[in-house]
Amino acid sequence: MSYFAAALVALLAAESLMAAGWGFPNAPIEAPATLLLVHLVVLGWLSLLLCGALFQFVPVLIARPLHSATLPLPALVLLLGGLAALLTGFLGLDGTVAATLPFFPVASILLAAGFSLVLWNLGRTLWAARPLGLPAQFVAVGLLGLTATVAIGITFALVLAGDATTPVALRIFAYGLPVHIVAGLGGWLTLTAMGVSYRLLAMFMLAPELDRPSTRAVLRFGAWALGVTVLGGTTMILVNHGTAPVFVAAGVFGLLTVILYARDIAHLYRARRRRVIELNSRMAAAAVGSLVLAALLIVVLGSMGALARHAGAVVFLVAFGWLSGLGLAKLYKIVPFLTWLECYGPVLGKVSTPRVQDLVAEQHARKWFGLYFIAAWAATAALFLDSAWAFRVAAAMLLVGTAGIVLQLVRARRLDDVPASARFPAGSMRPPLVLSLTRSH
Amino acid sequence: MNSSERESPIERAREALRTVIDPELGYNIVDLGLIYEVSIDDAGMAHVLMTTTTRGCPATSYLQEGARESVAQLPGIVGVEVVMTHDPEWSPQKMTPEARRYLGIEEESIQ
Repeated sequence: MSYFAAALVALLAAESLMAAGWGFPNAPIEAPATLLLVHLVVLGWLSLLLCGALFQFVPVLIARPLHSATLPLPALVLLLGGLAALLTGFLGLDGTVAATLPFFPVASILLAAGFSLVLWNLGRTLWAARPLGLPAQFVAVGLLGLTATVAIGITFALVLAGDATTPVALRIFAYGLPVHIVAGLGGWLTLTAMGVSYRLLAMFMLAPELDRPSTRAVLRFGAWALGVTVLGGTTMILVNHGTAPVFVAAGVFGLLTVILYARDIAHLYRARRRRVIELNSRMAAAAVGSLVLAALLIVVLGSMGALARHAGAVVFLVAFGWLSGLGLAKLYKIVPFLTWLECYGPVLGKVSTPRVQDLVAEQHARKWFGLYFIAAWAATAALFLDSAWAFRVAAAMLLVGTAGIVLQLVRARRLDDVPASARFPAGSMRPPLVLSLTRSH
Repeated sequence: MNSSERESPIERAREALRTVIDPELGYNIVDLGLIYEVSIDDAGMAHVLMTTTTRGCPATSYLQEGARESVAQLPGIVGVEVVMTHDPEWSPQKMTPEARRYLGIEEESIQ
């Protein structure tokens, strides 16, 4: 729960900055303000959210407990410290903050240490559960994507700090940004989210678990896209060749991944046994739709030679329509579920207890999710049209939508939507807002 | 003689298990088909064989403990052993018609 709370604070902060006109498109895409904003979103919000979700759901995916229940907390502290140092380092690039400390090297050390703890913990957990089921294999490939992204990111930070001056580091700094972005958004965040979504959607909609040729193909093509990007891209950069052929090949694999994934998810929705599905499952469909739209845009823009010009809009759609949309939708399930376990799990069988679904008021949350997705799509359109003011208006709508959803999550956490008579049966207790006290199974 | 006295001990145990709900589906674990077997030996020791809707369910330990607690409260029960199994795996076919109706599951979708 601490990961989720920290992640949501980062998301609200990033959306506030966007609404205030900070960074792209008001500033150039490579400006320090944009770099700060992007890393607040991908590290502060998306990576912390996904790490927190994986600590909860990898044990569900493999039906075994986490290797260490104590490592997530020091990892979070290191990651937050590293994020703060990195953002301060970006502010130092244009003199907004005096470079009183070597912020980039400090960020490199803290982020490397934090992610190493995450990788060690999740890696050991997965290793002990071999042979892995398909969703867990997605997570394993996603963790390789995280490793590559962090390694390249640290190289960038050390070059920026002036600590890495070898020709190899300088070439990676000069040409490696697309590899860093694709490995992070595509490998780490997207493949992991896909793997978790297969299992969660099947669980929550009572749909059959998918293990069919197309699902295996999604994993295979996704892993190839990541492998070609990281290994092929880095090799081409180091031998002084253009990376375009590598990204065309990775793009084809990536496109196949998205098409087959979307087909699988559509099949899950059709094969579900619960006819009436909850808001979190309906909103997940809007997120998958955003991913498909982003893939189509990449194909169309790529064929027109306009992808580089509109990269900001596509990245925004992936980050806010797909990843953040899916993340918020699933948080709307995960938070009440964990809260139920903490509050009512210990008294199960002794007194009558409410359902998980009684902890949420979907009729209130629906409008905030609607506003969120409309704002995310409107902001993408504004970026396409190069309209900075329209983007700020859409970002403000995005902020309001997110704040509404966060408020619903806080209400679920505080059990505010459970009828007062059923809220605290004898022996139950109100869980703390940002700490989670569930016991492992 | 009231109705609960007329019930057999096993029927009473199953009735007690109905106070335990699967938090996600919001219905009692007996009618969801999560209770595979209930037996009570002559000494009053109850044995419950149960499952969860999905392997690795985060609520597993709570459901197991809840099942134990609910049966342990019955008169004449000296102890309860709850064993969790996934053999066979649970499927929606195991639900009672009432549970299916509650969850809006169409009969033809589970054939």
